Amino acid sequence: MRNVITLARKELSSYFASPIASIVMGFYALLFGYFFYALLAFFERQSMQMSMGMGPMTMNINQMLIAPLFMNATVIALFVLPMITMRTYSEEKRSGTIELLLTAPLTDVQIILGKFLGAMGLYAAMLAVTLLHMAVLFYYGDPEWRPVATGYLGMLLLGGCFISVGLLISSLTKNQIVAGMVTFAVFLMLWVINWIGSFAGPTAQAVLSHLSIVEHFDDFAKGVIDTNHLVYYVSFIVFGLFLTAKSVDTERWRG
Amino acid sequence: MIEVQHLTKRYGPFTAVDDVTFRVEAGEILGFLGPNGAGKTTTMRIITGYMPATEGKVIVAGHDVFEAPIEAKKRTGYLPETPPLYPDMTVRDYLTFVARIKGVAGREVRGRVDDVMKRTHVADMASRHCAKLSKGYRQRVGLAQALINNPDVLILDEPTAGLDPKQIIETRQLIKELGGSHTTVLSTHILPEVSQTCHRVVIISKGRVVAVDTPENLTARLRGSETMFLQVAATGGEIEPALAGIPGVTRVAVTPSGDGTLGVEVDSARGHDVRRDLAAAIVGRGWGLLELRPMRMSLEDIFLHLTTDESTVEAQPEPEAVDA
Ligand SMILES: Nc1ncnc2c1ncn2[C@@H]1O[C@H](COP(=O)(O)OP(=O)(O)O)[C@@H](O)[C@H]1O
Ligand SMILES: [Mg+2]
Repeated sequence: MRNVITLARKELSSYFASPIASIVMGFYALLFGYFFYALLAFFERQSMQMSMGMGPMTMNINQMLIAPLFMNATVIALFVLPMITMRTYSEEKRSGTIELLLTAPLTDVQIILGKFLGAMGLYAAMLAVTLLHMAVLFYYGDPEWRPVATGYLGMLLLGGCFISVGLLISSLTKNQIVAGMVTFAVFLMLWVINWIGSFAGPTAQAVLSHLSIVEHFDDFAKGVIDTNHLVYYVSFIVFGLFLTAKSVDTERWRG
Repeated sequence: MIEVQHLTKRYGPFTAVDDVTFRVEAGEILGFLGPNGAGKTTTMRIITGYMPATEGKVIVAGHDVFEAPIEAKKRTGYLPETPPLYPDMTVRDYLTFVARIKGVAGREVRGRVDDVMKRTHVADMASRHCAKLSKGYRQRVGLAQALINNPDVLILDEPTAGLDPKQIIETRQLIKELGGSHTTVLSTHILPEVSQTCHRVVIISKGRVVAVDTPENLTARLRGSETMFLQVAATGGEIEPALAGIPGVTRVAVTPSGDGTLGVEVDSARGHDVRRDLAAAIVGRGWGLLELRPMRMSLEDIFLHLTTDESTVEAQPEPEAVDA
């Protein structure tokens, strides 16, 4: 465990030593801020109409503002997470520091978990910035806290899935740009897989939408923790990390 | 301290290391000498547990590298061909990180870092980023990193490659100083390097061990002498003093062959052609000279591919810079 923490801290400090951390955090904060503002403006217009007796009976800030905001935030994650994961293995392989890690008394699992937690740490820092926006809502409005908390949990889990895929892809190449682009392409595929499903037959659609990462996010955004979704995300992450371990081991044999 | 037994490594159909066996005693500095592509790096990567072997076994400080990798790795320090530095870390942060992952106890980390920085003379660069270090300093920080856990075994892959002559001398001096407290294997493709630093040499070529000897014997065999092989019909005993008396002859070795004749190996100083004198001495005593031919050592072929001239070291292209 000590080793995992040492490795995660090294990952995290290398993000912050390079421009990566500031770029992704800035990008994330900017886009999140934009969506926040747009949705808030929309929400205000709606409430205005409602107060004039033209809208629906009740205005729920959680449903009308926070849930869509989370959905939009997952889209931003789709863009920025490849930037976080693309260098994790690729850069170590290119520069030769992978020799240091693989000849240190560490297990592959420790190394992978260290990298995973390091990337999760940066992602969590990105999410932490958005707490400010939420604080504004809590200050001026009266949202329920529960859907907000589950929304963040969902964001972390969904990010975890992407990061585990990103680690796997980064472990396959020395070139971090290639890793980043392939990761983005794969994320996008995991994203749209249920749209593809809607053109296929009903069985295929059920299967594909089950595979879709974002499909499982809906309930979290609505404040529901469904064990099904939780199990899906956790097993997705574990499977991704498992494949990464396999890939690292195969590389080892190939030299 | 290190036992390498029948090590074979294949990359697909290509055999990079072929049935390599040698051992290194505690406190010894062993030179691993061979031309580029001989399989030095591959062998070292297997010893350090970076990659598994296709066949064979490596035991480091009593631990099998494949069966107990963590135990073996705890006792090993490794400097790869390119020092594995993180460009955006300072030297001190980097060494602290390595100390932690190498299992140095938390309260000892600081002391160890200071100690290795002092021993490798990098203390004045402690707060410099690794990206901004010169080639010589990178190599030394690489060496510091290998020493951080005070390992029983040090594996150094071409530690002087790409350094300038002054740095080369310093690095060799450092390795010699370290030799007493660590069992060291260092690889090189430069012949004089081993005679200056190592107690013993393993010569490897095309993945096979072709000679194991002390540097003195090897250099003598290479530089100082030529060897003749003679087959003589004579009774033993008298032939050795008769031939050893010839000017220029440095060594005579007689081995009786099964058919009643004698096989004789004669070393002579280079530049002395002793063939006429040998023939005259044998025929003059009434013995039968059945054969006289120069022995071409297979070693020589290999040496031809080794860099013997140190000045050519600088002409080697430098490996690309790590990162800026
Ligand atoms: N990962 C690899 N895949 C395929 N061939 C390799 C690999 N690594 C090394 N080789 C080949 O194995 C041989 C030995 O390489 P190496 O151990 O690096 O030699 P040296 O360090 O003595 O120069 C070379 O012919 C090299 O091309
Ligand atoms: Mg090499």
